[in-house]
Amino acid sequence: MTPVHAFGPLASIVELSSPKGAPWEFLVIFAVLLLGPVVIERARVPGIVGLLLGGYVIGPHGLGVIGSGNTTVPDLGQLGLLYLMFVAGVELDLNLLRRHLRAAVTFGLMTFALPMLFGTIVGVTLGWEAAAAILLGSLLASHTLITYPTVRDAGLASDPSVATVVGSTVLTDTLTLVVLAAVAGSVGGGRSTLDVAVQVTVGLTVLIVFSLGVLPVLGAWAFRVFGAERSVRYVVAITAFLAAATVAELFGIEGIVGAFFAGLALNRLVPNEGQLMDRISFFGGAVFIPVFLVSVGLILNPAVIAEPETLGFAGLFIVACLGGKLIAATVSARLLGFSRPQAALLFSLSAAQAAATLAATVVGFQLGLFSSAVVNAVLLLIFVSVLVSTITATRAVRGFTARERVPLPLGARVVVGVGDAALARAALSIAVRVARADGGVVHPVLVLGQAGPAAPKTARERLASAAAAAGVDGAISTIVDRSVLSGAVHAGVAAEATLVVVADPGGGFPTAAVAAVERDVADADIPPVALVRGQAATRLGVVRTLPNGAGENSATLATELARRLARGSTHQLEDVGSDWSSLLAPGDVTFVPAGAGEELSAIPADAPGIIITTLSEGVSHQAGRA
Amino acid sequence: MRQRARRIECASVNAATLCRSASVAVVSVVLACSLAACGGGDAAGTFTPRIPGTLSVATAEVPDPGFWLGTVRHPSGGFEYELARAMATHFGLAKVRVSVVPFADLVAGKLGGADLAISDITVTSARAEHVSFSSPYLDAPPAILVRPGLQVPDVNTAEGLRWAVQQGTTLQSALEQTIRPSSAPLLVHHQREALHALRSGRVDAVMLDLPVALAYARESPQTYSVAAQLPSEAVLAAALPKGSENLEAVDSALRALNADGTIERLGREWLHTDVSEDAIEQVPALRTEE
Repeated sequence: MTPVHAFGPLASIVELSSPKGAPWEFLVIFAVLLLGPVVIERARVPGIVGLLLGGYVIGPHGLGVIGSGNTTVPDLGQLGLLYLMFVAGVELDLNLLRRHLRAAVTFGLMTFALPMLFGTIVGVTLGWEAAAAILLGSLLASHTLITYPTVRDAGLASDPSVATVVGSTVLTDTLTLVVLAAVAGSVGGGRSTLDVAVQVTVGLTVLIVFSLGVLPVLGAWAFRVFGAERSVRYVVAITAFLAAATVAELFGIEGIVGAFFAGLALNRLVPNEGQLMDRISFFGGAVFIPVFLVSVGLILNPAVIAEPETLGFAGLFIVACLGGKLIAATVSARLLGFSRPQAALLFSLSAAQAAATLAATVVGFQLGLFSSAVVNAVLLLIFVSVLVSTITATRAVRGFTARERVPLPLGARVVVGVGDAALARAALSIAVRVARADGGVVHPVLVLGQAGPAAPKTARERLASAAAAAGVDGAISTIVDRSVLSGAVHAGVAAEATLVVVADPGGGFPTAAVAAVERDVADADIPPVALVRGQAATRLGVVRTLPNGAGENSATLATELARRLARGSTHQLEDVGSDWSSLLAPGDVTFVPAGAGEELSAIPADAPGIIITTLSEGVSHQAGRA
Repeated sequence: MRQRARRIECASVNAATLCRSASVAVVSVVLACSLAACGGGDAAGTFTPRIPGTLSVATAEVPDPGFWLGTVRHPSGGFEYELARAMATHFGLAKVRVSVVPFADLVAGKLGGADLAISDITVTSARAEHVSFSSPYLDAPPAILVRPGLQVPDVNTAEGLRWAVQQGTTLQSALEQTIRPSSAPLLVHHQREALHALRSGRVDAVMLDLPVALAYARESPQTYSVAAQLPSEAVLAAALPKGSENLEAVDSALRALNADGTIERLGREWLHTDVSEDAIEQVPALRTEE
């Protein structure tokens, strides 16, 4: 340690050491995390560039605070890289892929294949070895939905073109990582192509079985057991992707492939608007992913960037990547019958290169396939693609009129109003099933009477426990209102819910109460309401619907909910007056009209099965569009 | 009116065609310039040997237990020699030519006409002014080699020992700055002189790079023991002539050899130890503060 004499006459007494060690390195890194994006965003440049430049400034090519032999930052960066790919997998909307499968597959294959082909041609033309040329093609073929928030905030999240790009991301990222796995497996060791193919196939099979078969079950179990412990849920998610990354590496496949599959595996358990996703995004966005970007910035070398070779690489990469993406978007839009603004959205959303591109590039660098000139050229490509994507997305969004904007699906944001936590389980389980079908999130609301709660803290804890047991991940809130129905609907309006589920204490709600609520929120769109009573069951049985004379909207809502809850077909009962309650068995769900009040009140509170009443008069619901 | 409309339509069609042609021209120019700028450079960097088909490597001492075995004319193995051979294979070069150059010359950038030097060279900023360092291939914190049975748990114990160290190395600086021995250390020109002094009892301890010390201790456990390592981020790397255009290719080759497990395998084979961080962490750290 080098002593620094800084106190003049006191120098013989006070000795300061030059800053070094872990605290100093962490301080420098966090200073970059803090200042990098803030400074660069003032120049209207994306924050990601600030982190990369910050990495350069503190790195061996800059001030040299983090030397080339440092292992702390690269190790943290490696964790950040795994985290980045996990987040990429977990935040993908698989429901959009399912609903727009044909379009997503068409566009996904095209937007993967063309840049892949162009990139490989560039590599081959430059005389690169096959593995490097193919890896270059694959890293140009992926895309990162950097401009998705812009499009989502413009109310275009459910537009078919947006759904197509989001859905195609699953395909492009998976294919990119599969190519990466194959390339990584083929590098070194002098093994035959057949050996590599067998190794990669076996490895990917085991990884897929582990990630998509074992992890969701283990995750669901862990969330159920440790559900109420928020920090534990987060640690479960981290453990899951590290486990998948480890399994991948056991077979010589890059850990990022495992982390991405782990994200896909936990996708349904971690809704995008849920608390756990919020936590994952928070820590990822605040620490892990920025640290990865800073660690990439350590490789950034202006001297190398300024070299004609690097600029030449960058020019070719940009033309191959953006050219391929543009052609893919134009041709796909014609094939799928999209308008020009929709075609522009296809391009702008798929043009940005970041996560998988950076990940594959860093791995290519670590494998010795790419020099720092290639890495720096890819960083230039990322910069240009993010800029082009941002500009074109902003312009494309302007091309949409308000009428073209599609509302969210029914299960996107479900608010569950609960008066008594003991009666909440059925409503919560129904809400979770509806939300899961749409990749949505459930927000439980504890409604307390205006007279004042007896023990609000205890009631809230009970609701938290019931919510965790049902697999709910949304934030629990409390509201004081004149009735459970009124409180639930008011909370639903405030949260812009797509559906309000009310835990019915029994006997439904008087029509007058419903009318009063509608009057209260006359100026706002009231979300569709479903009153749920009965006993929750682990498995749902028969789903029946009774003829609904209460109105077309209520009937449509009942049909939509029944469709989401039933695995097969639903049973339509003919006569309201029949003794249908005798048909109820544990797990059975019956949709009854609001008018069947007498029959409802006749059913004992502890009767088996679940009874749902839908209210959707004069409201703007989105049931039919899911 | 209709004529005017047709004229406007024609003008807009011409503008669109012009725009499209301009875009194609711009892309073509970018492609042509880019291809010209790349000049067919390899993705991992291009290695151009001074002697065609041969990788010329300079080192300070042959033999150097664990690192260089045999003689200069007929090297028979060792971690660094095999590393050089693996790099030659990676570059598609058939031969490895070894030359011995004094360590002081190597770190001063005088490589005696070799493509690169591989010789237990620790990366320092002072040396980086004279040579271009590759990415590191081995962690090498300073370590204390003693005769078996001697414990050196802390800096106070180390301070009272009689030391030997190779002159002009980072190890000498580490000894003088961290340990500050109470008696002047024995400064030697070659490692073997320091080891001889230790064996003969003239000194109690020798400061060496940890992988080197571990190699000696593994080879002669009755004679040597590694007592402790000093906290350090020191790493060993290849040294190339300052500004060498081969640096990218050498860096990529070392990363490739690390990724495919070659470096780890060579460590096990020639240094008889796992060169991964876990193995290095098994050697106790010298306590420097109470």
